[in-house]
Amino acid sequence: MSASEQVIQLEKTDPKFVEEIIEYGSKIFGREHMETITACFQCGTCSGSCPSGRRTAYRTRLVMRKALLGLKDEVLSSEELWYCTTCYTCYERCPRGVRTTDIIRVIRNIAAKSGRMKEQHKRVARLLIRFGHAVPITDEFKEIRKALGLSELPPTVHSYPEALDEVRKLIKIMKFDQMVGYQESG
Amino acid sequence: MSDEVRIGVYVCHCGKNIGGIIDCEEVAKFASTLPGVVVSKHLLYTCSEVGQREIQEDIKKYNLNRVVIACCTPRLHEETFRRCVEKAGLNKYLLEIANIREHCSWVHLWEPEKATKKAKDLVKMAVAKARLLKPLEDIVVPVENKALVIGGGVAGIQAALDLADMGFKVYLVERAPSIGGRMAQLDKTFPTLDCSICILAPKMAEVYHHPNVEILAYSEILEISGYVGNFTVKVLKKPRYVIEDKCTACGECANVCPVIVPNEFDVGLSPRKAIYIPFAQAIPPSYLIDMDHCIKCRLCEKVCEPKAIDFNMQPEIKELKVGVIIVATGFDTVSKEELKEWGYGIYENVITTMEFERLTNAAGPTGGELVRPSDGKRPKHVVFIQCVGTRDKRTGRIYCSYYCCMETLKSAFLIKEHWPDTEITVLYMDIRAFGKGFEELYRRVREFGVRFIRAHPSEIREDKKTKNLLITFEDTLSGRLMTIEADLVILSVGAVPSEGSKELLKVTPLQTGESGFFLEAHPKLRPVDTATDGIFICGGAEGPKDIKDSVTQASAAAARAARLLVSGQVVVEGITSFLAHPEVCKSCGLCQKVCPFNAITIEELRKTPPTITLAACKGCGTCVGECPTGALDQNKFTDEQIMAQIEAALEENPEEKIIAFCCNWCSYAGADFAGVSRIQYPPNVRIIRVMCSGRVKPEFIYRALELGAGMVLWSGCHPGDCHYISGNLNAQRRYERLIKQLEKLGVDTNRVRLAWFSAAEGLQFAQAISEMVEYLKKIPREEIERTKKVISEWLKKRKKRKIAG
Repeated sequence: MSASEQVIQLEKTDPKFVEEIIEYGSKIFGREHMETITACFQCGTCSGSCPSGRRTAYRTRLVMRKALLGLKDEVLSSEELWYCTTCYTCYERCPRGVRTTDIIRVIRNIAAKSGRMKEQHKRVARLLIRFGHAVPITDEFKEIRKALGLSELPPTVHSYPEALDEVRKLIKIMKFDQMVGYQESG
Repeated sequence: MSDEVRIGVYVCHCGKNIGGIIDCEEVAKFASTLPGVVVSKHLLYTCSEVGQREIQEDIKKYNLNRVVIACCTPRLHEETFRRCVEKAGLNKYLLEIANIREHCSWVHLWEPEKATKKAKDLVKMAVAKARLLKPLEDIVVPVENKALVIGGGVAGIQAALDLADMGFKVYLVERAPSIGGRMAQLDKTFPTLDCSICILAPKMAEVYHHPNVEILAYSEILEISGYVGNFTVKVLKKPRYVIEDKCTACGECANVCPVIVPNEFDVGLSPRKAIYIPFAQAIPPSYLIDMDHCIKCRLCEKVCEPKAIDFNMQPEIKELKVGVIIVATGFDTVSKEELKEWGYGIYENVITTMEFERLTNAAGPTGGELVRPSDGKRPKHVVFIQCVGTRDKRTGRIYCSYYCCMETLKSAFLIKEHWPDTEITVLYMDIRAFGKGFEELYRRVREFGVRFIRAHPSEIREDKKTKNLLITFEDTLSGRLMTIEADLVILSVGAVPSEGSKELLKVTPLQTGESGFFLEAHPKLRPVDTATDGIFICGGAEGPKDIKDSVTQASAAAARAARLLVSGQVVVEGITSFLAHPEVCKSCGLCQKVCPFNAITIEELRKTPPTITLAACKGCGTCVGECPTGALDQNKFTDEQIMAQIEAALEENPEEKIIAFCCNWCSYAGADFAGVSRIQYPPNVRIIRVMCSGRVKPEFIYRALELGAGMVLWSGCHPGDCHYISGNLNAQRRYERLIKQLEKLGVDTNRVRLAWFSAAEGLQFAQAISEMVEYLKKIPREEIERTKKVISEWLKKRKKRKIAG
């Protein structure tokens, strides 16, 4: 980080970033839900509750803070953004009613859309396209299912290959395959 | 007064303010042609002595029985001119004002011809209304010169003392067996660190011995009826089973009583007997029996020397007649159930601030020794947690509880003072030390070595062995996650409306805000008045508060109440609602429902007509706007008068005009403000003044559209700002229904608009009118003609249906 980067020049921040987050998330969660971000008063209940934050540098509170400050690039390109496990503990405990986890998810969507998706995520996403499951079944699990008296395959796309075609169709329409670098050959 | 209408019209030049734009002479000439007008003049300054004298002389000379003055806003000089005509022997309500300055000359500075034309319309509307004016009398209500104070905490005590010192008889009603309230339980007060009971007890004694005060302790309010100056209050005096006057508080009875229950005064931290005195300084200084726990062994009866015990004592109902009521019902703290997530009730060493107050109090259960509940040992590391139960959306309480920051600072100080080796950590989100001497205490506490961490804990766990508490949080200032091991946690618990307040809501028309505390009539200018005349609020009943502010408010409430008691009467403006057509009233009860002042009572729904308590009516007219049959009407703003204004306004070129209904307090004042600020807008609008947007009936709008009005604006105060609390919300509901009906009829609903303007939003008002005029220009003539026809036919059909039905 150069010396100039040590100082946040407020004029160079993106004051519309919060609105962008709200707007983006409104389509999924509704505007009121997203607007709760503006009520954040930085008490840190979220970070204190975060199981990921105890092991990593991830601070939910700081994501909210930086988003509110308009530090768009910093938020979208931060490694920590992807450390949230979406356990919703912070969401439950926030005294301001900020819909933290959903807001994080929306910010991730924006990051992904702008090409900042992590390779690991892409790999999981490609599994989804290939198998219809982010975590496809393994021989080991097949055995366990059998031992439990269940069918070898669960009643999901694993059992209905034609449904997998539908999943793929949807994904194609949404151009999700391009986003995660999926190629027909796999 | 003869039946013949004889109107005098006076068009004021206001120097050049009006005369420089509007041709006043021409307006006056035009006015003389209007039916009923016998004299019409233009005067340079009507409000001057000369101007007023001329009107007064004319009233006599021409035998005038109505006066119309076209001048500045009625909000400025209506009172002046009312006094003027009254001096000449005319009833003051026979005056009507046409606002041709703020609403005309000042907003159409560059369009003198159009302004003159508009002024003529405004005068025509005023004359049309004036023709229908009736003389009215103000209502004078005598005031019973006694007061009731509900709640005997420090606020109630102060209010009672102030009024009693002024010479008024005061009843002080308290639910608990003793007065004293919360303050009696506290150890020290902030920021001065006085002993709380030491400064309160003398006040308690003073009120007890005051010849003008009658204390009704252990009593509850059953019923409040009547209105300002004339309240009748039923009070239930619960039996103490100990005769107050005979009890010497010797305590022999309690010594022999075998029943032990938790002591409420010590928040359950100490025991008391079934026969007990709440605390040493209790007033009245008398024991009482807790019959819920008494086993009736009657041992107390045997040892009581003064024979003060009476097991046959009965509840007593007292009826009080008072002129004013002061509500000082205080606050409670967030219920213990809700504190579970902070470990309270689960981990022994998590306590509340009130428990702490009793623990450090020399008269408390430990004699002032701060100990841990789990082992009775003195804690080495105390952690305070701020903002518990309030500022928390999940609890529904987003407000700040006001006193907790300072209470914690005081408590931290006391601990450090007594036991300097104690480690203290305060977990806070913001420290609010805004009062006199507060910041100084905050600084001293920091200098004392108390650790402040800006954090809101996310977890509290207990070490099963040591019963210590492990608290996890993020120190938001370093961005680091942190854990602390504390051996005592004190929850700084927020305030909630008291049980007494909630009970009182059932028997009074008082309203509460979002927080559940009683609502003041105006947050800035009438902070201790309520919407119900004659009822005042103070102390914790109005919102969480410290002692000083409670006492200040109490004195304020006493002074506000004394105004009424001293004058001995209340004058109510004659613009009240009245039952104009009892024959069509169906006793549906809607009027009663929308009246925010409880001024309307219907004994039996669908049977008895409404009675209007004129002394309680504030003249908003919302009930009249709501009345589906037209049975109710409002003096000085009758349906007929408003219709006459609409018709007069739309006589010529109605399609170019916007009829705007503006409420006196906000939107009309907003339009005035546009004038004062000389913000220009097109002259198409014709404003009709009502006291409240709730007065407006859809009928007015149908009529305007039937007559071909281009557009209609229905406006009032912003939600939450209504001068009459909820009139605008009723307007909104009615408007939405109206729009649905217009949709059904195929009318372009963009032509009828609802908008809120504050008195400061002159610019917004002007913009709204400009925007409407832009729209108006695009409405095809056929559309207006079609609407006229459709509405007219529908109104006829509806009338027929009504007659048939």
